[in-house]
Amino acid sequence: MKFLCVPCDSPMKLQTVGPPERGSLSVVYSCPECGYEMAMLTNPFETQLVQSLGVRIGPDASSTEGTRAGGTSCPFAAMMPATEVALPDQAGEPIPVRWTSGAEARLANIPEFVRPMARTGIERFARERGTLEVDEKILDAARDFFGM
Amino acid sequence: MKGYHDIVGDGGSRVLEQVADQRTRITDGLAGVRHLVAVGSGKGGVGKSTLTLHLAGALRARGLRIAILDADFNGPSQARMAGVQGALFVPGSHKVALPRTRNGIGVFSMGSLIPESESLEFESAAQGESHTWRATREFALLGEILGSVEWGALDLLMFDLPPGAERTVQYADFLGPRTSFLLVTIPSEVARGVVARSVAALSKGPNRLLGYVENMSGYFCRDCNAIKPLFVSPEPFDAAQGRPSGLEIPCLGTVPFDPELARLCDTGIPLAELPETPVGRALEHVAQQLLDTLESTTEPPR
Repeated sequence: MKFLCVPCDSPMKLQTVGPPERGSLSVVYSCPECGYEMAMLTNPFETQLVQSLGVRIGPDASSTEGTRAGGTSCPFAAMMPATEVALPDQAGEPIPVRWTSGAEARLANIPEFVRPMARTGIERFARERGTLEVDEKILDAARDFFGM
Repeated sequence: MKGYHDIVGDGGSRVLEQVADQRTRITDGLAGVRHLVAVGSGKGGVGKSTLTLHLAGALRARGLRIAILDADFNGPSQARMAGVQGALFVPGSHKVALPRTRNGIGVFSMGSLIPESESLEFESAAQGESHTWRATREFALLGEILGSVEWGALDLLMFDLPPGAERTVQYADFLGPRTSFLLVTIPSEVARGVVARSVAALSKGPNRLLGYVENMSGYFCRDCNAIKPLFVSPEPFDAAQGRPSGLEIPCLGTVPFDPELARLCDTGIPLAELPETPVGRALEHVAQQLLDTLESTTEPPR
C-alpha cells in the first residue's frame, strides 16, 4: 500500500507506527513537500493480514525497531510448556543461569517461537555440566550433542 | 497524478522487500541441499509421515545426509515417530541447529515445540475469521523455519506435507521448482481419486513428479508370514502396467502394512531395529527407486 499527497503529487513517507491497540495499528505518513500528515488506522483483520506475512511495519523495518503488526513476542507462547524455573539451592532461592553477551546474541538470531524452549533447554544443559553460565562454548557443546 | 507503479517503495516499511529478503534467505539456506523432495498425497491417513521417516532411515543407512521438515504444522507427527519430542533447539552462529535422531537424521517438527495436548494456535489481532489469514500465516512460518535453520550440506531434505490436494499445490508454489514430489496412495479408489487430483494439479506446474508409492498394499501377517489383502479394490494393482488406473506417474513400489511398524512409529524406534521383514524389504526397494529416480537426469515418463 502506498500513499500519495494529491496536491503535491508526491509519495508520502512513513513517520511513526503506534503500538497495536485492540488489534489496530496507527501508521502516520507525511508529505515531504508540504508536511501534511495523515494516519492510517488499520482494523484488526488488516493488521492480521500483514502479521500473517511475517513482516514488520515501521520507518526502518529492516531493523528491530519495526513493529510486528499486532504482536510483540513468540506467537505460540500460550502453547509452550511453562518455562522451567531455575533449580532452588539449599536455601530455597532459585539459582539463576547467566548468559554472556555473545550467547545472548546467538539466541537472538533464532526464531522467536524457538527461543523460550532453547533458553530453558540450554540452561538445563549447562547446569547438568556443573556451570551456571551459558557462553558460546556451552552453546557449541550443546550443538555438537544435539544437532546435525 | 502519479499511479501506484510510478512510486518507488512503500514509504518506509519495505514490506515487499522484506518478503523478497526472506526468499533470498531461504534460497541461500538450502543452497547446500542436493535434492528437495516433498512427500504428499492430497489424501489424509495414507501413511505419508511413516513413509517419509522410514525412507529417510533407509537412505540414511546408505550413508546419505538426510533431513525431514515436518510441514504438517497442525498435525505434526515426526517428532514422536522420530524420537525427537524433547529435542533441544540450539542457537548456532547465525541460525538454529537442526535436531537429529539417534540414527543421524535431522528433523524439524513443531511436535518438538508444542505438546500433543495443545493445538497450534497463532497469536491473532483479529478475533475469529481465521480462514482469511491462517494459510498465509502457516506459509510465513514455513518460510521462517526454512530461513532460520542450519540445513547445511544435505543429500536430501524431505518435506512431510499435510493432507489436501489444494495444499499440495500451494506447497509446490511456495517451495518452488527445485522441489520434486513423491505421492502416496493406498489401494482404495477413493484415495487414488484424490491422489489423481493432486497429480493433475501438480502436472500444471514446473515441479517434477517422481512417482507414487502404494502404501498399505496388503498387510503382513506374522502368524502366517504372508501378505494378506487389506483393501478390496475393484482395480487391483496392475503389475504389467506398473500402476493402477488414474495415476499417470511411475509407481516406485508398494509397501504392505505391518502392525509392528506402527508400534515402532509410536515409540520412536528406527526401522533398522525391526528384524528383516517384507515391509522392510519393500521400503528398501522404494528408497532405492527414489534414489535412482532422483539421480536420473531425465524426467520420468508421465
